[in-house]
Amino acid sequence: MVNLNANVAGTVNAIKGAWDANSVMPNTNKLVPKAGDGDNEKSDFANTIKAVEKYVSKVDDLQQSSDTSIKDLLSGKSEDITSVVSAVAKADMSFKLLVGVRNKLIEAYKETMNMPL
Amino acid sequence: MGIDNTFGPIDIAISGLRAQSKQMEVISSNVANVRTTDAGRGEPYRRLEAIFKSDDDGISGVSLDGIATDTSDFYRIFDPGNPDADEQGYVAMPNVNLPTEMMNLTIATRAYQANAAILKRYQQMVETTLELLR
Repeated sequence: MVNLNANVAGTVNAIKGAWDANSVMPNTNKLVPKAGDGDNEKSDFANTIKAVEKYVSKVDDLQQSSDTSIKDLLSGKSEDITSVVSAVAKADMSFKLLVGVRNKLIEAYKETMNMPL
Repeated sequence: MGIDNTFGPIDIAISGLRAQSKQMEVISSNVANVRTTDAGRGEPYRRLEAIFKSDDDGISGVSLDGIATDTSDFYRIFDPGNPDADEQGYVAMPNVNLPTEMMNLTIATRAYQANAAILKRYQQMVETTLELLR
């Protein structure tokens, strides 16, 4: 199978590295795809989609919690506006990452599909 | 508090916002009770002060350590007609100094704004990172 996601995975890794506070320097060994490395670690398009599915459920959890905090605020159950702000900020941020990854994935898929054979 | 994640700066900024809100609450209590001669224990209102501590050594948010009372002396004003006045006609007034409270209010407001600015800037930073995906 054509390794569709090398490009996507590289970018996602780079972004994860940039967001990891503990590792200031991103691990460049992982980012640069090596020739012949594909045999050890099979990462095809389907696996990437599965990983995205997991991330989708994580993003959904954050969205749900931001939703509940908004509802609690509006129904008067809680009066803590800052927790709403924090929940919404987290949900917003992770959703934007999800959308970015999705766009990149679809782009890669389309590019492959339009490849003249 | 976990800081090894993407949401670290958010949580820290939010803890700062909460701390400054609490500070604002304490200041409003002090200002509201600036002339309260009877706070229930037979003495006037004692000025309160919020004490903050960091959650952890190293990178961490802030949390409320406690609300301490200001032990300085009460102001005494001459008001013989006041039912709370002593034999000499003096009434003990709270040890709240309004100009000080106003200064603390400005500090709390500015600190709150600073924390909100950090939250906003961090969101912008993350969006900048996501621009790389495009």
